[in-house]
Amino acid sequence: MNSNIFLFSAASVEEDGKDCLRVAIQPNMSCQGWPATAGSKALEKYIALEDATVVRLLRLVGARIAGTTHMSELGFGLVGDTGNRAITENHADGALITDNMGEARVAAARSGIPGFKPSYGIVSRRGLIGLIPSMECWGILARKISEIKSIITAICVMDDQDFSMTCDRLPDFDDKQFLKEPSGVIGVEEGYEKSLTTSEKAAWQTAVSAMKKAGFQIVNIKMMDTALFASVHNVIGAVEASSSAGKYDGVRYGHRASNAGNWNEMYLKSRGESFGTLIKSYFFQGAYFQFENYAAFENACRIRGRLLDETMQAFTHVDWMASLTIRENHDAFKVSTISDMYESFSFTAPASVTGLPALQLPGIALSGNTDFGLQITGPPLSDPGLLSLGVSLEKKQKGGPAK
Amino acid sequence: MKYEAVIGLEIHVELNTPTKLFCDCPNRPGDAPNVNICPVCLWLPGALPQLSHEVLEKAVIACLGLSCTVQPESAFDQKVYYYPDLPKGFQLSQHHKPLARNGYLDIFSGSQKPRRLGIHHIHLEEDVAKLLHETEGRTPISLVDFNRAGAPLIEIVTEPDMRSPEEAMEFLKVLRTQIRYTGASECSLEKGSMRVDANISIRPEGTCVLNTKVEVKNMNSIQHVGDAIAYEIKRQAGCLEKNEPVVLHTRLWDHEKQVTSPMRAKFSGPCVPDPAVARIVIDDAWLVEKKAQLPEMPIQKVERFIASYGLKRDEALVMSQERELSDFFEKSVQNYHQPRKAANWITAHLIPALKDQEKSINEVPLIPERFHALLCMQDQDEINANAAREVLLRMLTEDKKPEEIVEERGFRQLSDTGELETVVDRILTDNSSGIQDYKSGNMKVLGFFIGKAMKATRGKANPKILKELFARKLA
Repeated sequence: MNSNIFLFSAASVEEDGKDCLRVAIQPNMSCQGWPATAGSKALEKYIALEDATVVRLLRLVGARIAGTTHMSELGFGLVGDTGNRAITENHADGALITDNMGEARVAAARSGIPGFKPSYGIVSRRGLIGLIPSMECWGILARKISEIKSIITAICVMDDQDFSMTCDRLPDFDDKQFLKEPSGVIGVEEGYEKSLTTSEKAAWQTAVSAMKKAGFQIVNIKMMDTALFASVHNVIGAVEASSSAGKYDGVRYGHRASNAGNWNEMYLKSRGESFGTLIKSYFFQGAYFQFENYAAFENACRIRGRLLDETMQAFTHVDWMASLTIRENHDAFKVSTISDMYESFSFTAPASVTGLPALQLPGIALSGNTDFGLQITGPPLSDPGLLSLGVSLEKKQKGGPAK
Repeated sequence: MKYEAVIGLEIHVELNTPTKLFCDCPNRPGDAPNVNICPVCLWLPGALPQLSHEVLEKAVIACLGLSCTVQPESAFDQKVYYYPDLPKGFQLSQHHKPLARNGYLDIFSGSQKPRRLGIHHIHLEEDVAKLLHETEGRTPISLVDFNRAGAPLIEIVTEPDMRSPEEAMEFLKVLRTQIRYTGASECSLEKGSMRVDANISIRPEGTCVLNTKVEVKNMNSIQHVGDAIAYEIKRQAGCLEKNEPVVLHTRLWDHEKQVTSPMRAKFSGPCVPDPAVARIVIDDAWLVEKKAQLPEMPIQKVERFIASYGLKRDEALVMSQERELSDFFEKSVQNYHQPRKAANWITAHLIPALKDQEKSINEVPLIPERFHALLCMQDQDEINANAAREVLLRMLTEDKKPEEIVEERGFRQLSDTGELETVVDRILTDNSSGIQDYKSGNMKVLGFFIGKAMKATRGKANPKILKELFARKLA
C-alpha cells in the first residue's frame, strides 16, 4: 500500500488481486467497514455501514476494490486528489472519481489518460456521500477506453433504490450498433478558438486535424449562452452543496469541537473547525443564495433549462460536440479560490450542468509536450457510441494511448 | 373602528401508514425512543430516500377527500433550516410542486346556508425528530427521539377565507371528519396526529386589504385554536388602536395563561429542488382507481341522512361524524320505523358511554342488531327507559343479547295490571293525606305516587299503566 496515494487499501489486493480488474474508489463511496471520510474532517472516523451499489456491482463481475484514494474535500474539485495517480503508478487499473464539474475528466487529462463522465442518472448513487445531487456522478479513469468500458458495463445497472435513475432504458454497452466504426459530424462552438491561449489554440488545431483525419466532419455551431455555464454551475452547485453539507454537525459522527459551551456553539465551532477554506467559501456562497438572494438561484435554474435546450438544439445538427479538456495556467490540483476553480473546469462544467456524457481523450490535443486533452460530449444516453468513438480515435493515434 | 379578522390555517396531519415516508422503519408513535430508525431517517452519509407508495396512496385519498385536484406531477424540495430536530439541515417537503391544489370544505357555522372555505394546496413532507427538554434536574438536558423523524405528513394550507374563531373551529371539525373517513389519519390534536398553525390578520370591516399577519402555534385542541385566534384578534385590534404596527412573527399560545406570546420571527427558509427524491407522476387511470376507493364522505352522508331518515341537520351531523358510528347507525335503523329515536339514543347514551370507556364502537361487543332489538323492546313497553339505558351500558361490556340481560337482571317491565294494582292500593292507603291534596287540585301528587310505585317495584313498573291505575283510583 502506498499511503501517498491511498487513504485506505484492501490488503487482499496486493496478494491475489493481480489478475483481476483493480478499481480504486474514493472515500466518499461507501464500502462496508471502510472509513468513509469523503476527504473531510467533518466525516472524520466515519465508517461506512454498507456497500454502495457500485461497489457491489463491481465485485459481482470479479473486480477488486483496491482501496480508497485521497480526495478533495467532499469531492469538490481536485485539490489533494490521488485517483489518477493510482492508475499512472500502477496501483489500480481503473479509478472512480466523483464528477461534480469535470473532476474525472480533468484528472485524466492531467495524467494523459482517458476519463469518462457517463450520462447523469445511469449509475446508481446509492452509497455516495454526495455534494451536488443534480450534477454529480461517478467518473471513470483508466489506462485504456476498453477498461473504462468494462467498468461502466459492470456498474450501469438499474438500482430501484436510487430515484435519480429516471431513464426508461439504460444504454446497452454491448449493443452491436455501437461497435461499428463511428463517423459523423462533430460540432464546435463558433468562436471557440478565440477564447484560447496560444498553446491551447495550437493543441486545439492539432486535435481538429486529427478528428478530420479520422473521418469526422467538423462544423461550427452558434451557441448564445455558453458563457453562462460556469455561473449557473456556481450558483446551483453552491446552493446544493451548502444544503447537502448541512448534516455535518459533529453530533453523531465526524469531528466535534471540544470546548463548546452549548449546542449552538458546538455546531458553529465543529463546522468551523471541520471544513477547509475552499469548501467553506463555497458553502457561504450557497447560504448567501439560499437566504439572501434566492432569486439568483431561481434564475440559475431557469437559465440551466435554457442552456440544456440550446445544447439539445445543437445536437439536432451534429452527432458530437468537441472542446479541449483542460486549460493552460489553471491547474485544478492547485486552485485556492472558487473563481480559480471554475476557470480550471471551464471546459468540463457544461456537461455537468446538462448531465450529458463526456469523454476525455489523451494524446490528441497536443501542443509541444503538453496534452490539453480532447473532450467529446454526446447527446443524452449516447454513452456506448461515445466510447466506441473514443476507441476508434485512440487506435488512429500514432503510438496509441499514453503510458 | 370595527375590525374583521382574516384567518388562514396551516394544518399538519400525520398519516397512519405502517412505515415512514422515505424508509421502511415502522411509523408507530408511542414506541420506546430511537428504536424505529435506520440510515435513511437518521440521514447518515450515503443513504438515499425511497418514497413509500403506500404513503402516496393515503395522501392522495386524503386530498381527494378534501375535494382537491391531485397534480399530475409533484416533486420534493429541500427546505433548509438548522435545528437539532432536523440533523440533516433540511426537511424534504413539496414547495414548488405540491401534491394537490384547489380544494374546499363547506361549513355550516350556525346557519343553514353552507359557506365554502378554500384549500390553497396540500403537500407531502417528512416529520422531524422530537426534542425532549429535561429541565427538572440540576443540569438541564435536551434529548432527541428519531422515531418521528421521517414520519409521513400532509400539510394542508387553506386560503385566508375564515373570518372568525368559530369558522376556524368549524372548518377544523369538518376537516377532521373528512380525513378520518378516508382512513388516512386519526387527526387528533390532543395526540399530536394533527397540528394547527393559524395565520391571523385584521382589517377594517368591509375592506379587502390583506394586512400583516401573525402566526400562532402550540394549540392542542380545536377549542385552543378558537381561543388563541380570539385572543390574537383582540390583541391586534389593541395594537391598531394604539397605533402600534403589527409585525410579521410567530407567537405561541399559552393555554394556562390564555395568551399568545412572541416566539420568533416568522421562519421562511429557502427550498431547493432535490433530484435524489422520486418525482411523483400520477396518471389518470390510477387516480380514477383511488377516487373509486373513496367512501361516501360525511358531507354527502349528512344530506342523505336528512333525506332518507328524516333526521334534523344537527342529528345528521352527529350520525355522520365518525365512519364506524355512522355505519352502526345505518345498520341499526334497517327495518326500524323511528330512525330519529335511534339517532337520539346514540347521541344521548351511546356516544357518552363510549367516551367514558375511551373506546370506539368497533371495540365493544355491541352490534347494530342488538341495539335495534333493545329499541324495539322499549317501544313495546317490555322495558322502561331507565332499564333500557342500563341494558345498553351492559351491552358495551357483556357479549349478550338485550333479552338475556333483561331476563338476568329482572328488568322486564311490570305490566301486569293485577300485580300493579296491589302496589297502587298499598301506596294510596299509606298516603291518605296525598289523596286529599290531589282531590283539592294538586296534580303534582300524581307524580309523587308514581315515584313511590316505581321505587316499590325497583323501577320495573310500566309507568303508563301506573298512571292509568292511579288516575282511575283517585277519580
